[in-house]
Amino acid sequence: MSDKKSLLKNPRVIIFILILLGSIVAIHPGYTPGKGTTSNLNFGLDLEGGSWLQIQLEGALVQVDVDSGKLVSGIVEPIIGAPIEITKNDLDVGGSANKSITFTTSGTVSASQLEYLGTISVDKLSGSTTQVTISDTSKESLIQSYLSKALDAEVVTKSTEDGTVYEIRTAVTEQKLESLLEKVGGSIHKNEDGTSTYEEGVSTDTRDLTKEILSDKLNSLGIKDIPVRTVGDKYILIDFAGIDLATAKEIAEKPGKFEIRIQTTGNETEHVLYGDSIVSVGVPSFHDEQWHTPFTLDDDGARTLQKVALETGAIDDPDSHYLKMYLDGVEIYGAPLSSSAAEKLRDAPIYSWEASTGTDDAAKTEAKALQVHLRAGALPVNVELVGSGHVDAGLGAQFKTAALIIGLISLIGVAAVVYFKYKRPEILIPMVGTSTSEVIMILGVAALIGWQLDLASIAGVIASIGTGIDHLVIITDEVLSEGKLPPTRVFKSRITKAFTIILGAAATNIIALSPLVVMGFGTLKGFAITTIIGVLIGVIIARPVYGIVIKELLHVDENGTASITE
Amino acid sequence: MATGLAEILDNFVKSHNDRQLLALPLAILAVSLIILLVSFVSSGSPVKLGMDFQGGTQISIETTDSPAVLEKTYSSYPITDVRQTGSRVIMQFGIMDDEQQRQLEQDITSHNYSNVQIQQVGPIYGKTLQVQALEALVISFIGMGIVVFLLFRTFIPSFAVILSAFSDIVIAAAFMRVSGIELSLGTLAALLMLIGYSVDSDILLTNRVLKRRGMVEEKVSKAMHTGITMTTTTLAALASMYIVSTFSYLVVSSFTQITLLSQISIVLIAGLIADMMNTWLLNTGILRWYAMKPEFRGRYNR
Repeated sequence: MSDKKSLLKNPRVIIFILILLGSIVAIHPGYTPGKGTTSNLNFGLDLEGGSWLQIQLEGALVQVDVDSGKLVSGIVEPIIGAPIEITKNDLDVGGSANKSITFTTSGTVSASQLEYLGTISVDKLSGSTTQVTISDTSKESLIQSYLSKALDAEVVTKSTEDGTVYEIRTAVTEQKLESLLEKVGGSIHKNEDGTSTYEEGVSTDTRDLTKEILSDKLNSLGIKDIPVRTVGDKYILIDFAGIDLATAKEIAEKPGKFEIRIQTTGNETEHVLYGDSIVSVGVPSFHDEQWHTPFTLDDDGARTLQKVALETGAIDDPDSHYLKMYLDGVEIYGAPLSSSAAEKLRDAPIYSWEASTGTDDAAKTEAKALQVHLRAGALPVNVELVGSGHVDAGLGAQFKTAALIIGLISLIGVAAVVYFKYKRPEILIPMVGTSTSEVIMILGVAALIGWQLDLASIAGVIASIGTGIDHLVIITDEVLSEGKLPPTRVFKSRITKAFTIILGAAATNIIALSPLVVMGFGTLKGFAITTIIGVLIGVIIARPVYGIVIKELLHVDENGTASITE
Repeated sequence: MATGLAEILDNFVKSHNDRQLLALPLAILAVSLIILLVSFVSSGSPVKLGMDFQGGTQISIETTDSPAVLEKTYSSYPITDVRQTGSRVIMQFGIMDDEQQRQLEQDITSHNYSNVQIQQVGPIYGKTLQVQALEALVISFIGMGIVVFLLFRTFIPSFAVILSAFSDIVIAAAFMRVSGIELSLGTLAALLMLIGYSVDSDILLTNRVLKRRGMVEEKVSKAMHTGITMTTTTLAALASMYIVSTFSYLVVSSFTQITLLSQISIVLIAGLIADMMNTWLLNTGILRWYAMKPEFRGRYNR
């Protein structure tokens, strides 16, 4: 029974050993002459050297209450400088997508003033009365156009179960928005419980799109692999390994160069427009049996495109005059003008375009990629730099060494206190051994999930050495409360009692740190996750084994001194 | 050391009545609360807010230039503080606009200092962090309180544990205020950790006294021996962390202070020393009085 081999038959011990070995494999420590030590561990920028930028996505999400008649009066009257009277309004009628509203006024109206609201037709009714109809519109698109113009920012609508949500892609306060809506007789919609639907930030989709565009742009430069991560809903964190801060900012701010060219003869192409002519890019959608990515051109762009299409003859023979799109000189898309578009271009410029990519899943992916590329690195929302940092590689290496020294000295310090208290190597060795294994397992998990270890995480590792030893002390004192090992039955109940205390303590530890994991404080998240992983590994895997091991070791010892028999 | 300390504390606890035990920790708690309150009234914040929460830029470089020289070199920027530790100088700047910020960074880069470290936080983000930090502390504390109540399911013992944890944090925060340690993300983490750490020994004590047979006096004394060993081992780990991260440059001149680790460890050390007092005087006092109440007829003391 006291044979140490029996330890290896205990399933807990077996699991412990397997996980420990697994962790070592995961960490994969190695030494290459000349290159120094290597491992699978990922280190954060503060240990590796490099720069980081944290940016905030500015925007607001809101639902709106407004009467459609008042809305149109509120929008139109200040523009034409005269009162209007609504004569026909089907904006509030459900059903068809293209709705219209008609009004009369004594003022003078030119169609171009109101163009952004929909298709405008102006009829002189009598000497002083003009009748205006806005068609191809809807209440939502009117609100969208109004807010977009008033705030000089892109506004996107999204239908949800609770109604239409407007995403305003710039920083705007609730007060500002409320006062803008007041001017058109509207207000910010209230939730059922009376709280405002105004919310700072952008939708998850927009955040992810921004992240993709940034990632796409930064990595297309091909300097290095630049990871772009989202932190909560509002922040994006970009790591530039081995790059100084000034260069990092330059890279992040340099827009990609997007260009549309048209095929002239053979493989020759001619410049049409650059990315700055693209006003907005829509979400890819599937219709007419094809995937499409919609985008809008500004006045200059649309007119230039019409002119070039006429000059090159693309209007008469679209198929030999492909429109091609380039990002930083690389062709990313090419297609002919559709026959209907070509016909339309004969008479007028086209502002709203759609690039079709095909029918299958690959086409869907391409349409999505195009959505990113068309923006040419221009982000869908306004962003503000809220934090940045830089650590030289040499300093990072120094921190790494210091962290290692701190870990070792901590362990030695703890061992000294333990030895001083118990003065028995058969307690000291399993205790320090358990603690060391816990550290190896935490690092193993970190390597496995690709977690970046930064200075804060290392503080977490050291903190878990601290709590780990605390719990081992509880087990030891509980088991040896009479100064020697009790019989197995008593031993088992004592271990259970020790674990009641340990589990309670571990639970409070985890609860106390969980706000940091959820709130995502950047660096502190690493610290909290490492500590929590440490506590879990300790409680579930390592500490029970410690109980088993000291029982065996002390048993052998006590047998030797013949002070206890079973 | 651990054993000696436990003996002294044990004798002290045995020779004083419950009321006497509470006097010292409650007095220190009161003084700490006053310190935080005065600070709050005079500066709008109970602790000094660091750059992480206020916004600004901190640049630390290795240089032979003296702080005075550097202050002059960068006088065109809103430089607020220059400190020297070993061969390194840490410069603190106020809030700048993007253009000025960039210029400063280029300026620093062009000087070719070695081992540069730059940290910058925008003022708005700092404000957001302040709110989040407060939320995190409150949520964390409430979460801990709930777990403690679930563990013991009786009001007074749970309250004693929570009061003692509260006092640990208040004392640690007052210590930060007095010794001029700023609230940074690192020290915030330390305070949160203290919430978790400090209840370890309180749970041990309460569990032993309420859920075991034996004389209260004896159970407290045994728990104390275990508890003091626990706290001393933790203090040993933290002291190592503090010494190496703060003073290693005195031994190896090329080394630098690791401010984050230095701050985390010193705040935890202060909190844990407070915890020894709070667990073994404050919590013990309340718990001993509770367990000896006549209506329990020796339920906890047999």
